[in-house]
Amino acid sequence: MGMRKGKCGLGCKCMMAQKRNMTLANLPIGCKATILKVMPQMRGRKKFADVGLVPGTELLMEAHAPFGGLIRVKVLDTSMAMHRDDAQNIVMNDEEDDTKQASDPS
Amino acid sequence: MKKNFTVALAGNPNCGKTCIFNALTGARQHVGNYPGVTVESKSGSFFLDDIEIRLIDLPGVYSLSSSSPEEDVVFQELTKTDIDLIINVVDSTIPERNLYLTTQLAELHIPLLLAFNMADEANKKGLKFDIPKLEKYFGSTIVQTIGYKKNGVKPLLEALSTALKNLENHGVPMLSYSHDIDDSIAVITQKIDTLRIEKYRHIPARFFAIKLLEHDTAAMRIPEFKPVWNDVETQIRHLMKKHAIQADTFMADRRYAMLSGACHDTISMTRAKRHEISDKIDNIMTNKYLGLPLFFVIIYFTFYFTFTCAAPFMTYIEMLFNGLNQLIKAIWAPEVFPYLRSLLTDGIIGGVGGVLVFLPNILFLFFAIAILEDSGYMSRAAFVMDGIMRKFGLQGRSFVPLILGFGCTVPAIMATRTIESERDRKVTIMVLPLMSCGARLTIYALIIPAFFVLKYQAFMMWIIYLIGVAIALIAALIMKKTLFKGEGEVYLMELPPYRVPTFKSLLFHMWDRGKAYLQKAGTIILVASIILFICNTLPQKKVFSENYDAQIAQFQKSKALQSFQIDALAKNNTIPEGALSEIRKNNTISAAVLKTLKDAELTLDEQAIVNHTLAANAEITKLRNRKKAESMEYTISGKIGHALEPIFRHIGFDWKVTTASLGALAAKEVFVSQLGILYAQGDVDQNSSSLREQLRKHYTQLQGFCIMLFSLLSIPCLATLAIIKREMNSWKWSFIEGAWLLLLAYILTFIVYQCGTFLHIGTTMLS
Repeated sequence: MGMRKGKCGLGCKCMMAQKRNMTLANLPIGCKATILKVMPQMRGRKKFADVGLVPGTELLMEAHAPFGGLIRVKVLDTSMAMHRDDAQNIVMNDEEDDTKQASDPS
Repeated sequence: MKKNFTVALAGNPNCGKTCIFNALTGARQHVGNYPGVTVESKSGSFFLDDIEIRLIDLPGVYSLSSSSPEEDVVFQELTKTDIDLIINVVDSTIPERNLYLTTQLAELHIPLLLAFNMADEANKKGLKFDIPKLEKYFGSTIVQTIGYKKNGVKPLLEALSTALKNLENHGVPMLSYSHDIDDSIAVITQKIDTLRIEKYRHIPARFFAIKLLEHDTAAMRIPEFKPVWNDVETQIRHLMKKHAIQADTFMADRRYAMLSGACHDTISMTRAKRHEISDKIDNIMTNKYLGLPLFFVIIYFTFYFTFTCAAPFMTYIEMLFNGLNQLIKAIWAPEVFPYLRSLLTDGIIGGVGGVLVFLPNILFLFFAIAILEDSGYMSRAAFVMDGIMRKFGLQGRSFVPLILGFGCTVPAIMATRTIESERDRKVTIMVLPLMSCGARLTIYALIIPAFFVLKYQAFMMWIIYLIGVAIALIAALIMKKTLFKGEGEVYLMELPPYRVPTFKSLLFHMWDRGKAYLQKAGTIILVASIILFICNTLPQKKVFSENYDAQIAQFQKSKALQSFQIDALAKNNTIPEGALSEIRKNNTISAAVLKTLKDAELTLDEQAIVNHTLAANAEITKLRNRKKAESMEYTISGKIGHALEPIFRHIGFDWKVTTASLGALAAKEVFVSQLGILYAQGDVDQNSSSLREQLRKHYTQLQGFCIMLFSLLSIPCLATLAIIKREMNSWKWSFIEGAWLLLLAYILTFIVYQCGTFLHIGTTMLS
């Protein structure tokens, strides 16, 4: 098709993950991506870093909470709930690793 | 060799630390599948061979810093106290994240022992560890444990015994942060060494050097390090130029990179399985659309379970206390120490019994909540509720305490510890007493059936609870907008995988919280019962407005039967022989005989005689009650009630309700018994129909509603204030809480009563 498919195999939904300047806040549910950079203005950077939210960590967006700000993200095999406002400061890698794609069935 | 050792237990939240603590010490600490179960560190002792070990259970933390109260506790505990060894509990199903803390613990150079906990689950998940390699890496022994199994900690005990004998030459971790960083660390380390800080002699300077290089608040707060700050800044600038990363996350970044490499070498994974089921449940439970409806269904069943299961037990307990009361009254003659007799039966047993009746309700609620907590659902509930709660100035984690508040406010306030944000916690505590607690139910159960027809009774109950919740939410919103303004704190909460809770842990969990309620019954209620009893009896009135005793004596005399009357009773053989001889002996019909005659078929003549006695008895009771009421007005309670009546009249209270409501500030359960005493009804509970009759005679529906509203909004009991003092560490907050609720209760009840009176809503007497 000439288009790059998203890693999670959800087709077009995950194509959003290919966009530039994507943050954790707009990572679609069910998609995986790697942290590229944590913005310096983010509040509580240290706290997030301590649970593994550092560049290079792979994240999976698991769910959005009803009414408002919370999202559920899988980081290092643990589900973490955090605010979307905070997640906006986590920039995700827009370069998908194509070699991994085949080995990831979910 | 030393005989006493101090060992600290450290680890991530939810890694099974408390489980290990309990297994080692035999203590029963509260274990929950909910992050933040341990906030203070607790300690326990146990013997290993003949060595005594004091084990400190530290709160679960992700890092050794001070970005949360828990982390602060751990940092202080580990750097200040003299600890011989640290047992680091690692959830081996997620080693990479758990070992992050380990890297920092290893830098403390305190002998370290790693317990790779949940070994069975890790095995199921297909994780294989190269233990010797990992041991070398962290410079410490590693044992695999299964915390919840009896023999699961045996390897840990063996390793501990060996390690304690060999404390002097423990291993050195091979942790390196890459060349240039290590160089910077070395520079700072040297500077700190020259400071020669006596206080931290037992901790290597390198640990603090690393902490200072990442601008760690806990380390930056220590004034002794001020001389090296300039050097630290120079080094940070130097490193940032090279690596282009923020200083405070720099070390975290390096540590994870380091661990990623280490784990790659030593841990292999054959298949990913464990979280699959947990994840599938979560896809439904935390779903954007299904999450909330499911949550409400679960909460509905929690309450349904609580009230259905508790009902029979409540009846038993009530029967037990009534029986006990009657037993004591039967064997203790009224003439012997009448005050003491009445203090014990009406005061103490009545008061404490009134509280204990609600114990089943509260225990079942806590049991249901324990299931939700231990299974891991509670953190999901916080997740799905967060959006709604935030609209009212609270947050997801405020939710659990608020639900507990329906049981008893005291453990609910203790549960607010899981709320990290100090502001959110204060707001939650401030509005928590508005959740209608179990004790207030006694008042509703008395008032509602007295003033409302059966059809509306359930509805009224529901309305009262709803008013409490609504006011709590509005108050929280206002407080957050005014008193507790400011930017919200960073929110980060772990959602642990679902686990099947063990029955033992559920029971323990339930008991742990139920205890607080029992303690309240044993202390506050006991004291309040005695004080109220004194207020209700003293001072004694000697001179009455009428000569009641003479009048009573007159009626007693009129009951005496003439011999022709007795003959008339005996004539028709309608009265049993036993009763007759009893009548002959006393020359009057005693209460016991009257009871037997109730069912007998009497002739008109006989009935007239009996009726005469009955009428006389009724008059005597009336006189006695009037005498009691008059002496009641003379007592301390009566005087206080009368003095305050001008204030409380505007919210629809007369002096009797005023004294009962004031007593209810000590504990809500007191209200019913107090009102019963004031209306001279003797023993009453919330099911007492005679007291309800009295209420209907004296108050309107509107007043009844105002009584409930006032007790809903004022503080539940003195124990609440005591627990707030303990949790907030100052009486100031207890005072603020008590004062604001009293003011709120008065103002709102005032508005309702005045508006109701003006609009003539429920102002007619029902009987």
